[in-house]
Amino acid sequence: MLSTLYIMKNDVREQRRQRGLSQIDLAAGLGVSRQTIIAIESGKYSPSLPLAFRIARFFNQPVESIFDPEEEELGA
Amino acid sequence: MPKNSRWYAPLCTLAIGSVVAGAVAIGHTWGDALITEVVTVVMSLVYFVVTGRDSDVGAIYGQRSDERQQQVRARASRLAFVTAISAAFVCAVISVALNESYWQADVIVTAGGVGFLFGIGLYGAHDERPTNFDIGIMASSAERDHEGSSDDVSTTPDAEAYTPKGDG
Repeated sequence: MLSTLYIMKNDVREQRRQRGLSQIDLAAGLGVSRQTIIAIESGKYSPSLPLAFRIARFFNQPVESIFDPEEEELGA
Repeated sequence: MPKNSRWYAPLCTLAIGSVVAGAVAIGHTWGDALITEVVTVVMSLVYFVVTGRDSDVGAIYGQRSDERQQQVRARASRLAFVTAISAAFVCAVISVALNESYWQADVIVTAGGVGFLFGIGLYGAHDERPTNFDIGIMASSAERDHEGSSDDVSTTPDAEAYTPKGDG
């Protein structure tokens, strides 16, 4: 039996591009892998609360302006 | 050994493979043991190359996985567990049908089941006593002991808020 994942929409890619950062730069700044940034930006992975707050702090934005609390249900 | 180490997986492979090679040397021939050891060394080298890659597999085997990769690892481990237990079960059924010894499969299934239950106990959230129970009934009890009052439990809001299930 497969579980169901709930993925939140996010604005990470736009925020990163506005600042002229590469995915490698953002990954290094947040202390995660480049693959995780790709997964977050493409909506395949919802970060944990600590990482979500780290992302918000990195962009100097409130967390709710980057992550949309309306969930999209994905069959995993 | 440092947490972020490329050497962990290759050295573990080398150690485990060498133990197997030792068993082969005891039960079979030195030639077979040498072949086993060569295969082990090659596998260790492959692991060392893999752990240096910029990928999920490289990060997981290289002991530098982030939270998503740890989640990937946990889900992959679950799949591996289900696969291994299923294979052991099938092997046990076939062994029984052929009237052969099946204790190895029995050990695998039993160890897997016990490990699973142990994991739930170790990593699961434990049902702790509600906070208001401590500061309500217990504190009231302590105060009652100290002050000699008998009305604390029934009259404090905290005590009324905590109603254990199954008490009607």
